[in-house]
Parts: sequence; C-alpha cells; structure tokens
Amino acid sequence: MHRQQWLIVGLALLAGSVAGAQGRPGAGIEARTLKNGLKVIVWPDQDIPNVALFNFFRVGSRNERPGITGLSHFFEHMMFNGAKKYGPGQFDAVMEAAGGSNNATTSEDATIYMDWFPSSALETIFDLEGDRLAHLSFDPKIIESERGVVYSERRSSVDNDNMGALMEQVQATAFVAHPYQVPVIGWPSDIESWRMEDLQRFFQTYYAPNNATLVVVGAVTPAEVFALAEKHLGPLRSQPSPEPVRTKEPEQQGEKRVRVRRMAQAPLLQVAYHGVDAKDPDLPALELLLNILADGDSSRLHRRLVEEERVAIRASSVFNTTFDPSLVWFMVDLPPGGDVERAEKVLGEELEKVRAQGVTDAELRKAKNLTVANFWRGLETNSRRAQLLGTYEVFHGDWRKLFEAPARYEQVTREQLRKVAGRILEPARRTVGVLSPMEEALAPAGKEAGR
Amino acid sequence: MSGKAGRVGKLALAVLLATTVAGAQGTRPAEPAKPGTPRGVQLPKATVIELKNGARLILAEKRDVPLVSFSAWLRGGALGAPQGKEGLAWLTGELLLKGAGKRDARQFAEAVDGAGAELNVTAMREALLVDGQFLARDTALMVELLSDVLMRPRFEPGEFDKMRDRRVSELAAAKDGDPRGLMGLYFLAFHFAGHPYGRPVIGSETSLSTLTREDVQSYAKAQLGGDRLILSVVGDFDVKQLASRLEAALGGWTRAEAPAPVAPPTSVANGRRVLLVDKPDATQTYFWFGNTGIARNDPDRVDVTLANTLLGGRFTSLLNTELRVKTGLSYGANSTVLRETQPGVVSISSYTKTESTGRALDLALEVLTRYRREGMDDAALASTKAFVLGQFPNSLETSAQIAMKLSELAFYGLDAKDVDGFASDVMGASRERIRQVTQRVMPAPEHLTLVLIGKASAIRDVARRYGPVTEMKLSDKSFSPAPAPKR
Repeated sequence: MHRQQWLIVGLALLAGSVAGAQGRPGAGIEARTLKNGLKVIVWPDQDIPNVALFNFFRVGSRNERPGITGLSHFFEHMMFNGAKKYGPGQFDAVMEAAGGSNNATTSEDATIYMDWFPSSALETIFDLEGDRLAHLSFDPKIIESERGVVYSERRSSVDNDNMGALMEQVQATAFVAHPYQVPVIGWPSDIESWRMEDLQRFFQTYYAPNNATLVVVGAVTPAEVFALAEKHLGPLRSQPSPEPVRTKEPEQQGEKRVRVRRMAQAPLLQVAYHGVDAKDPDLPALELLLNILADGDSSRLHRRLVEEERVAIRASSVFNTTFDPSLVWFMVDLPPGGDVERAEKVLGEELEKVRAQGVTDAELRKAKNLTVANFWRGLETNSRRAQLLGTYEVFHGDWRKLFEAPARYEQVTREQLRKVAGRILEPARRTVGVLSPMEEALAPAGKEAGR
Repeated sequence: MSGKAGRVGKLALAVLLATTVAGAQGTRPAEPAKPGTPRGVQLPKATVIELKNGARLILAEKRDVPLVSFSAWLRGGALGAPQGKEGLAWLTGELLLKGAGKRDARQFAEAVDGAGAELNVTAMREALLVDGQFLARDTALMVELLSDVLMRPRFEPGEFDKMRDRRVSELAAAKDGDPRGLMGLYFLAFHFAGHPYGRPVIGSETSLSTLTREDVQSYAKAQLGGDRLILSVVGDFDVKQLASRLEAALGGWTRAEAPAPVAPPTSVANGRRVLLVDKPDATQTYFWFGNTGIARNDPDRVDVTLANTLLGGRFTSLLNTELRVKTGLSYGANSTVLRETQPGVVSISSYTKTESTGRALDLALEVLTRYRREGMDDAALASTKAFVLGQFPNSLETSAQIAMKLSELAFYGLDAKDVDGFASDVMGASRERIRQVTQRVMPAPEHLTLVLIGKASAIRDVARRYGPVTEMKLSDKSFSPAPAPKR
C-alpha cells in the first residue's frame, strides 16, 4: 500500500467504517490538459503491478441520423483493424504479446476504449493508441468483413434475444425527435450500407483529442504518463468542436404503446418514462428512488410483483447517466402464460403509490447505505476506478465529483424523492412495451438483407 | 451498450460458476521485481483455523477499502442431489436466503439490503457457494446472517412453493434470451449423459416440478454441516476479533448426516455424436464441440492454460482470428477448459448466421486439427506467456477474488503455490511440453461431442456431416433428449 493517510471529511455515514488504514480515496490523482485539448487524468496506485487505461470519446448513437445509425459502434470495431505503424490485426497482437488485453464499448453518448496491461507495457500501449488515433486505415475489404461481425453481434443481442428485441422497439417508440431513438447497434439496413466517406468524416470529427478524456489508473506515476501522453498523443491535431446535438425531445402528449409478437416461452413487459440528464439536480434523488423501487429482494417492485402477487419472475429497473434526458426503464419478466395486463396494473399501482406517498425513512436510509457500499466497491479495482473517474469527468464535468458523491447522496431528503417521483413517473409520459408469445415464428418479410 | 467483445447471460455464468475455468486464476502485490522479469502476485498470508466440527476458516486482512468479502464453500453441491432430483441443490440454496434464524424472507432481505450488502448462494457442481460482501462496519451483522443461513434456514412451505414455481418459469423464460447462455447446459447433459456431471446443476423444468419441500429438508440434513465448510474472509477487519466471532457463531454447527459425495471418474468419449436443438425462429446457429479434458489438480494445468489461451482464450487466439477477424463469420469464437474434481470438458464454441453454419464449423474444426498437428511456434509461445502473466494480477485484485481463490484452493486440496508459483511455472513452460499436453487434452477431431442450437429445418443436413444426429426442441422441458442416451 502506498496510499497516504487522510483525515475523515465530515461524512457522518462514513464515520466508524473508515479505519485509519485507508488513505484518502483519490489522493495522488493528477490531471492535465494537453495543448491539443486532450485531458489526461492519472490515479497512481501500486496495489497490483497492473494498469487500466480508459479513453472516453464523446460520441455515440446520439450523434447519428438515418442512414448512419450504428456507425459509432461500427467505428468502435474499426478502431482495432489497423493503422500505419501497426497494420491489420497488429493492434491486438502487439498488445497481447506485451501482456495486455482490451475491449471497447459504445453507448448512446460515448465510446470507451479500455486497455488492461502490466505496467511494463505502458509505452507500448501509448504507441498503439497514438498510432490508431493519428493514422487509422480504412481498408474496404476489412470494412466488409467487419460488417459481418457486427451483424452477428446484432443477431445475438436483438434478433435472438427477446428482451433486446423489445427494448429496441420501446426506445424507438419513446422518442419522436431526439436521436436516443436510434439503437446503438444500428438498424439492419444501415449496417448494410454505410460508406467509406461516412467513416472518414466520423473519424475526423469525433476522434479528435479535444473530444476525448484519457484516464490511467494503476502502477504508474503521473509524470511518466503525462510524458508518454505528450509524446504519443500530443501530435494529434485538435479539430473544431463537433456540432452539438440541438434537438430536445418535446414533451410527450400521452401514453404510447408498442407490441412485439415473437416466438417465446414467456411474455415481457417494459415501461419506460422520460428521465433526467447527468446535470439535473434531481439525479441523486431519482437514483435513490430507483434503488428503493427495484434494487434487491427487499425492493418494492420485487416484493409486490414477484413475492406477493406472483405476477412476475423478475422486476428490475435500468437508468443510465446520459448527456440528455434518457429513459427510466422498468422491466417485468413474466412467467410462461403470465397475465401482462395484471402485471402492468400492479406495476402502475406501485408507481402511483410512491408518487402519492413517497418513501419511508428506513427505505431512504437503506438506499443511502447501498450508495456508500457501491462507492467503495467502485474503488476496488483499477478498472472500476478508471470507469468512474472518466464517467464523472465526461458526464458530470469534473472527476473530483466522484469523491463528493457519498455526501451528495447523503443530503437527499424524502421530500426530494417524492417530488422526483411525481415529476418522472407521470403516466401520460410513459411508453409501454409488451412482447407477446406466438407459437410459430413470423414468416420473414424479406431475406435478411444480403448477409 | 454494444461492444467489441460481449458477455453472456446469467445462466451461462451459472454453468461456469459450477466449475473452475482454467486460466481464470488469481493475485496480490508481490515484491518489486527486477526490470525485465515479470512481476508475479502472491496470496496474502492467511490465518487458518480448524474448528472441532471440521469447519475450516481462512482469514486474511486487506485494508484498502472498508469492505469485507467472504466465500463459503460447502462440499456436496449438485453432486449431493439424488438422480432425478436435478436442481435440488440450487433450489435449496435459493431457499437458504428466504428466511433464516429470527428473520423471515422479507426481514432477511431487509437486513442484507439495508446494510448495502451482498449475500448470494449459488449451487455449483461439487459445492454450494455462499458468498458476499459487507461494509466493514457491519462485520457483526455479516457473521450473524451467514451463520443463520448456514445453520438455521427456515424452509417455510409458502416460500418453497413460490421459489420452485419461479425457478421453473425462469428456466422456460431463459430460452427466450441469448442462446449462448444455454449452450453449456445442453453440452454437459449430452456429453456426460449418465454421469453426475451431466445433470444440470440448475435443474430442468421437468425435474424441478417434482421437487418437494421434504426433498429440500433432506438435502439440507444430509449435505449441510460444519464438516463441509471452508470459509474464507478477506478485507478490512482484525483477524483475532473476527476469528473469535466466527468460532462462536459456527463452532456449534453439527456435521452433515451423509458422507460427502464423490464424483466417479469421467472419461474421454469415443467417436462423434451430434445433438441438434431446434429453435425454429433462429437466424443464427450456436455451437459447442469438445470432449473430456483435465481435472482441477492436473499437474500440467499451467501448460493447459497456455495451450488453451492460444487456441481460444484471447482475442488474437487461433479460433477468433479465423472465425471473426479474418472471415467475419462470427462476433466471437473461443475455447474453454472446465476443471473439477474429475476431468471436465474442453470445448470450442462460436456462432454464425444460419446459412454459414457448415462453413464456420468446418473452419473451427480445421483450426483445432492444425493446432494439434503443429502446436505453437516460439513467437506464439512468448506472446502467450506474456499475455497470461500480464493478465494474472487482475484476477486477484479484490477481496472477493482473493476470498474465492483461498476457498477454491482449499476445496481442491491445493495450496498457495498454485498462485505464488504461477509466474515461474508459466515462464518455465516449453513448446515441447505444451505440444504433448495439447495432444493429450485438446479433443481429437474424430472423437467429439457436438451441440448445435439453431433452425433445424435449415441445418439438419449440415449437422449430419459431423456425426450421428440426435434431435430435440429448445422448448422441451429438459436439457437432454428423451429418452436420455446412455453410454
């Protein structure tokens, strides 16, 4: 352990749990912005001889439009397919031979590239990252092959997965104007048809250093990381800021419904409300509310739908931190032959109840305790710390806010939860999705386009 | 979210949890190494305490965050359930959390959630796993809840009925999800038909429907007891204080009434057999093929880990290179070595659109055949070693990972050398040794069990090219074809 001792900052909830052995979380973090606009955040920690490097780009399906849906995600794949110094296949081959592994993920808002490697590979990793960001190549043959890979991914996550299939329809239905209606994986016909120019324009616009945040956590020193960043990423040229996403979703005028018919053992119910964005002051209250409603076997929805009424086999909620207001999901998985109408009625009753009456002190305490525990869980690995620092920097505007989170959640009151429930869980602004089982598969309307 | 390499669902995880996946090893900060030599990781020094009832406690402090993790392994697991009662250990495990000691199901859930804690029970093939994580300030509560779960489950009738019915529904509903999550269940059931390793740990719709509350009570009496327990706790606590708390709480636990079950030997299957599981609306075919491989304590296990990593255990593996990178046939292809007390399966898996089923299968078989013939060259060996060494520390970073590893080693009769000596074993591996181990462990193409989930009407003829085909439907209420093939 090379962490420093710290003074407990006056968080009542942490008192008694923080032994003197822990250093102040985040001590030693340093951040610097290169001349080209790339922000680099370093959290040195010698617990294991390894490093997690996360590079966040502010681009996702939110930046897409008809014709290029799925392009952000496809681009994420293309970033592994060769550049100038390291040709096709070399990025992965060189990284793995140096002991590293990687992955990447695309959401509506951001594309994140992740490398996990022994500290001995630090310079190699920067060399690889610098090469692909400066000189990515666009080989038509590789683009064609990668379309097949992405299509296979779509088949597994949407076409052969009923929950994914229903979510895609609900999301597309809930938004009439905002690009959050676009599925991250892309619509099939767009996967088929995006072009070389689309990719090149995309790269230049969004993969600029001033549109990225680099986070490095683990067995490094800030000085060596800054020096390597300067050497390998400093030469990247900054670009004009991407066009902002100006469209705001207009207020929903009434409940919307979508029904999906598929071969299935069991029906699914999904109810989505329009939520808040990352900067919204109601965000902590909303997150605590969703904990109380749907997190754990003691949560309201599990108790009522699964244990008491037995109309569901699972009840959960999904809500992500996003640049623009995104959906608050309630997912209710029914048993085979389950009564969807009844499940929807019971779910509606629970949500109305919390709007009218709010939550109890005990429930709020429980949700806050979970938040504290999750805060510490988030600091257990280099990888989670990199994820959190980047998320706070990109979505909340400052990585330091990560360490204010326990206090921020501690301050939330029951009244704030009641208010946010009233604001968000408005029945007229929900979209209800139902997947109804059929015995036989629908005859395909056409051949799966070309692939 | 969509990404470069995806994850599979909860059921798949359950299948893998039921065994030990080779390559998924563990870490700890080791002494600084000389430049140029790989920095290994070491398990923390642990305090081991044997209680009079046979329970073993393994305690290690780790104070970087105010959390405490535990991993309790109870020897028996699914192996302790009688034939025909598949899923009994799983159901029992779920019910342990549905009321114990002075708390009913609701109060128990409130106690765990109220502390922001995690407490889970998972039936594995040869052990029941109870694990979790609490804030350090709640260590006393952790000991209380854990000992209640182990020693004082209520098994209330109402909770039993609800849970059994829900489990049956969950198994049916899982068939509406990503088929990758189900492949292992079908594969093990078909490959190990007639052997306890073939029985689905999570049960089937058929077997679960027959279970009674009395079955659960008998299982608990026979298979749960102090002599079965290996409990590792790692995190922010004082060892002496926690040891006395645990002794007080668990020292009075009686022994299990039955002797611990022992798995009979497994063997390599001769010839080829194909199971085709019909999913009429599938647009993609999912396949696994393989045979019986090695046990957890196989002396060549590090060589096997290296051999498997190159074949299908990383992104640039031979399989993923051919099926994904070069041809775009699939989002991913990999190989897995499942290791238990007896040799488990070595399997190769991928998926592709229905029309290219034969092409993808042929290509995967070709990769396997060539690899068995040619082995790895020096550059591949060096790269594989570096990769395995470089990733190893990430697997022992958290208190939960370390607690799991300590228990797992004790369960299989292994010691800290498995971790502490891992780096030097990897460094010492040679091409010749890996070639030998590949010949011995990686399935010979003429002796294979193959399982395909896909649109049978479109791929039936393709399936026949790989061996005699047995067919069943995805909607069948069991994971093996009826009548169960005997071997």
